[in-house]
Amino acid sequence: MRRARDNPFAVHRVLRERYRLTEPEWSALLARLDLLGGCGAIVGPHGSGKTTLLEDLGERLEALGWRIRFVRLNAEQRRLPDVSGWGSEDFVLCDGAEQLTFVDWQRLRFRAARAGGFVITTHRPGPLPELHRCETTPALLRGLAASLGEPLSAAESGALYARHAGDLRAALRELYDGWSRGVSR
Amino acid sequence: MSTGTLTVAPTDAGTARRPGEVIELSAEWSLATPPRTLEARLFWFTRGKGTQDVNVVETQPVASLESSGKRRVRFKLPEAPYSFSGRLISLIWAVELVADDGASARWEFTLSPDGKEILLDRRMASAPRAR
Repeated sequence: MRRARDNPFAVHRVLRERYRLTEPEWSALLARLDLLGGCGAIVGPHGSGKTTLLEDLGERLEALGWRIRFVRLNAEQRRLPDVSGWGSEDFVLCDGAEQLTFVDWQRLRFRAARAGGFVITTHRPGPLPELHRCETTPALLRGLAASLGEPLSAAESGALYARHAGDLRAALRELYDGWSRGVSR
Repeated sequence: MSTGTLTVAPTDAGTARRPGEVIELSAEWSLATPPRTLEARLFWFTRGKGTQDVNVVETQPVASLESSGKRRVRFKLPEAPYSFSGRLISLIWAVELVADDGASARWEFTLSPDGKEILLDRRMASAPRAR
């Protein structure tokens, strides 16, 4: 048995891993956002890095001079918070847009229309033009594990990836549990 | 975030602390731009599998508009919660020196009646401790 604080797959360590885009890919993403008029959706399944990418995008936009308005929604927080007072200097980032009811989605979209930009994350395409599609691979999972200090073989990462149907968050949780039990892979 | 250094360390050695004890720390900073506020925070936080939790127990102002300096700060430690670790979660105590631009330094310590981290698993507690 090992202490939670020492677990290489503890949440605080996993959160340090950022979305893996090269600088040219970032430039292309920001150019596409510009092309879409500052309005788009980051689309992908559970555990594919949508929230991480949205946070990283927020930092990039902030560095460009935007005031970031982050709306975080999830299964526990489905209600739309106060969204009044947004202006052209604001860039609205909404994580988990699919949690909203139809009426709240319309409210958010109406309010965000006054902002300088609006990007959401969602599991399914549709609500806004697709800005980026998040996809995972066994190689990405292997790279993350190595970066966290616990390398996996190609076979291990392939099997783990398949067990969780590409959900890297769930795969990393399994690695957390295995490490805490001292299970050798 | 401005460039420079911040350090916070106890004036006496050791990280084993007991409930109700008064700890004294030396806070030292040298920053490129004077921080509007510089404060010391006594807090605990969690590490592990689930959502991270944090609770600031006490905050003390250290300085304002001074680009460098050295001060002593004291905190009376509360009775609880004790430092502990299990498989799912660890609770860790710390004092942090934080400038308003986000620059910070941290010193972690253990709070419990015997100054040792409480290990929630019996096998863990009975295992020989590394020296």
